[in-house]
Amino acid sequence: MSPLDWWLLLAVLLFSIGAFGVLARRNTILVIMSLELMLNAVNIALVAISQFRAGSTGAGVLFSLFVITLAAAEVTVGLAIVISNYRAKRTVQADRFDEMKG
Amino acid sequence: MPGGDFHPFFFVVISAWILVCALGVVLFRKIVYSAVSMVACFLGVAGAYALLNAELVAIIQILVYVGAISVVILFAIMLTEVQGEDYRLFFNRQSVFAAPLGVAVAVILTVLVTSSQIADVGEVTRNVGVHQLSQLLFNRYVFPFELVSLVLLAAMIGAIVLARGEGEKR
Repeated sequence: MSPLDWWLLLAVLLFSIGAFGVLARRNTILVIMSLELMLNAVNIALVAISQFRAGSTGAGVLFSLFVITLAAAEVTVGLAIVISNYRAKRTVQADRFDEMKG
Repeated sequence: MPGGDFHPFFFVVISAWILVCALGVVLFRKIVYSAVSMVACFLGVAGAYALLNAELVAIIQILVYVGAISVVILFAIMLTEVQGEDYRLFFNRQSVFAAPLGVAVAVILTVLVTSSQIADVGEVTRNVGVHQLSQLLFNRYVFPFELVSLVLLAAMIGAIVLARGEGEKR
């Protein structure tokens, strides 16, 4: 395995840990934190591929900066939604938000 | 050691750090412990960028993730403190489904990574400097850059409107 493969393997493992967190936890803040782990994993893959490819211009590194910016935006909006839900229902547990249940 | 090579020792240390902290985020029962573990994980990821010779991304990772996002998340935890979250791993129904799915994602992606041949792979990482990145950002990718700033503005307004609440409208 080449060094790039090892970096991608790290990204894969971090991504699946984040995916597990998103699926397994009920606390919505923790779901957002796990989402951040997944975004970090994608960023590691972007930077690693950009740095190891012979002909790359560095666009992968640049796009990881875009991902970081969008992650910051996502966190602010997500947490604002969590807080306004908390005001209404006094809980952050995802399975208590069951207003739409038929 | 020359600057651009792959350092197996540092790689193993950094990846072990990142993965252990990430597992801590997912597995800790108290959400504050998870948040602290997440901060440590972000620091580890910044170290990974530094190891990949992407200093700018490492610095921005520390500024944005360790500095800003962690503080926002800790504030949200403080504002929504709930007593006695009943979380037991492998005793709640969701984990039973989530664990195989997580393992499946890991296995499928690992097979993909190891079987794919990415062309022109050099053994040495290159050093993309701030100069080169800013040339790219303000020439070829200036439209995405403006778009991202628009998204940030929209997110800021959205967060203020959402978090202000119903009763405080004037």
